[in-house]
Amino acid sequence: MITKIEELDGKFVATLEGEMDTIAAMEAEEVLKPLYHSDGKDVIIDCAKLEYIASSGLRILISILKGAKAGGSRVVMKHVNDDIMTVFKLTGFVDLFEFES
Amino acid sequence: MKLKTNTSLIIIIAAALLLQGLSAVQYYYTRSLLADELENRAESEITAKAIIVKNALNLAENSLNGHIWDLKRNLLHPDSSYSVMELVLRSHPNLTGCWVAYVPNYFPEKGRLFEPFVWWDHGEIKHAEIAAEGRDYTQNRYYKAVCASDAPMWTDLYQDVVSGLNLVTYMVPIHDRKGDLVAMFGLDMSTEQLGDTLNYRHIYPSSYNFLLTADGQLLAGPKHEREKKVQEMAHIISMINDSTVERSLSNSGLSTVIPFADADGDEGLVFYAKLKGNPKWKIALVCYDKEVFGQLKKMRRTIGLLMLLALLALGLIIARSVKNNQKLQQANLTQERIGSELRIATNIQKEMLPRSFALACDDIDIFGSLTPAREVGGDLYDFFVRDEKLFFCIGDVSGKGVPSAIVMAVIHTMFRMASAHENNPARIMQTINETACEGNESNMFVTMFIGVLDLPTGHLRYCNAGHDRPVVVGGETLAEKANIPIGLFADFKYVMEETMLDDGAMLFLYTDGLTEAKNLERQQFGLPRVMATLTDCPPNAAQLVERMKQAVQLFCRGAEQSDDLTLLAIRYVKVNPEMVLEESLVLQNDVRQVKTLNAFVQQVTERLGIESSLAKQIKLAVEEAVVNVIDYAYPAGQTGDIDVLALSDGQWLKFVITDRGVAFDPTEKEKADTTMSAEDRPIGGMGILLVRELMDSINYERTDGKNVLMLKKKIEVKSEK
Repeated sequence: MITKIEELDGKFVATLEGEMDTIAAMEAEEVLKPLYHSDGKDVIIDCAKLEYIASSGLRILISILKGAKAGGSRVVMKHVNDDIMTVFKLTGFVDLFEFES
Repeated sequence: MKLKTNTSLIIIIAAALLLQGLSAVQYYYTRSLLADELENRAESEITAKAIIVKNALNLAENSLNGHIWDLKRNLLHPDSSYSVMELVLRSHPNLTGCWVAYVPNYFPEKGRLFEPFVWWDHGEIKHAEIAAEGRDYTQNRYYKAVCASDAPMWTDLYQDVVSGLNLVTYMVPIHDRKGDLVAMFGLDMSTEQLGDTLNYRHIYPSSYNFLLTADGQLLAGPKHEREKKVQEMAHIISMINDSTVERSLSNSGLSTVIPFADADGDEGLVFYAKLKGNPKWKIALVCYDKEVFGQLKKMRRTIGLLMLLALLALGLIIARSVKNNQKLQQANLTQERIGSELRIATNIQKEMLPRSFALACDDIDIFGSLTPAREVGGDLYDFFVRDEKLFFCIGDVSGKGVPSAIVMAVIHTMFRMASAHENNPARIMQTINETACEGNESNMFVTMFIGVLDLPTGHLRYCNAGHDRPVVVGGETLAEKANIPIGLFADFKYVMEETMLDDGAMLFLYTDGLTEAKNLERQQFGLPRVMATLTDCPPNAAQLVERMKQAVQLFCRGAEQSDDLTLLAIRYVKVNPEMVLEESLVLQNDVRQVKTLNAFVQQVTERLGIESSLAKQIKLAVEEAVVNVIDYAYPAGQTGDIDVLALSDGQWLKFVITDRGVAFDPTEKEKADTTMSAEDRPIGGMGILLVRELMDSINYERTDGKNVLMLKKKIEVKSEK
């Protein structure tokens, strides 16, 4: 999978592409770690090309969310597909994150 | 309530009227008896008193008559008559004087009139000749009357001019030898003495007698001291004198009766009659009602008082009985309320039992029946399927009725709670026991059998807490080890036992209401009869239970059910469907193997033609399950294999994940809370949640030192392979 982060207009934008299984999540975490301390900046996570996510991937997302909440900023999930949304629903993530299409 | 009070009032009034009526009848009957009695007694008294009077008169008459001869002998000597008269006077105490009145000029030397007289004067006898021209006795009406009749007679009452005494006089005509009238021989008698004699004693203390002359003058009577009495007597005398009825005592003793009332309102009766013969006096008797009927009135008062007391007592009794009645009604109402509440309780208890015997799995045929001896019972049974395991229990709370039912409900709930995340029946039992022991002041205990049947394998684990041993029909009797009933000792360690159920095995569980069911001869149904009934049983849980119930009902034949009766039959049928897919993979205990796993799962789902969304869900569930095993089954540094077996019959896709690591049951973990806020939410715990949510069933089994985790998902097959 491909994981990128960039800073745009004072916001972090993370792009997740492909399948985030347990192994991929371990690799992605290395890239995404800076977002655990977003220092008051909003985080946008683009899931347009995210096909699959395991619970280890979900743990990363929740860690990012906890960091952002601590700094008073928002985490917005963008372009989440139905399959991923199913997982988000099962785990209660739909109530934790903000979603944009 | 109002009606009741009125009824009791009516009863009391009716009783009062009845008693009053009875007492009135009794009063008037007694009164008439007393009136008759009075009449009889009055007649007797009057007759007796008349005899007294006659006797007194006779005595006086005889005194005189006895000396006539003496007088006649001395007719030639005028003065000699004094001694004769003296004799007469001394012969009778009531006599006050005696005299002889000679016809005019009988003794020429004595003048025309001569009347020698002898009388008592303060205890001495005096003599005198009392005739004087101014007092011509020949002009006396009695003298004339005797001359005319030539027969003795008694005069009316008069007051003696000398002594002032009330006197009557008896006079007899005296004839000489030729038969010529020569003198009147007479005596004077005081009536005072007669009055005293008459009133010496009476039938009633206040009664009194008196004598009247023929023309109604009072001759003799009581010495009334009170003016009122004097007036009353005068009144009575005038009543007698006014009366036109006159009877003589000779008329068979019947006297005349006149009622009277005095000024004070005292009422009474006067009886009077004429004396027989001469003189024609009347004798009267006065009686007072209050004396005649006084006792009766007293009696009536006493009876009235008694009646009042009786009525009061009756009132109290009625009031109490009304109260009791009310209490009884209250008790009935309470009874009714309890009854209806019990009916509700019966329904609640029924609803607590499993509603349906149709389970979502094909490998179990189960049927239960609970017949409480009363409205509610202390028996319970329950079963449910979780993670390819059948959890079931049967229990019997000591005692029966409501207390047992409450305990039963608690135990039932505890069973459900304790078995929600626990597969070990001994631990479930222990949990229930610990809770049940807390505050079990009433020392109720429960015998209970808990079984956990692993459906894929037929592996039955169970724990028996002092319950009747279940039977595998045609095979063994379970539960060699007897644990103590629950509710006794909180720290008791319950021991689990296990066995394998063969395909088609029928397990039969019951409470002692079956073996101890009694017939009218007090014989128990007993285990041998249970076993005999089981030997020839249909391979169907419902039919078996029905047959057992019929057998015990037939045996008891109308005897009252003494204990709750619970029967539970479980038939295990191993499902061995034909497999359309059977693939296996061996992984090392390394998280990097996940790629291999995912490729394997992807391949399996593709072969089965499962559409991508579902395939992704299955892949995710299997990945999470395996990662979970990798994380927990082997302690850090240890390695081992993990076998993954994929099986499908075309309807279901099943993954069996086996490892030889430490016993670890992921299904016992409580479901993660997905409603917490981001701040509170733990990072972990989502893996097993996803497995549960994504798969249709999940089952863990520890067999032969292996952890066996099984995931099942209903699949839709797009195309035949």
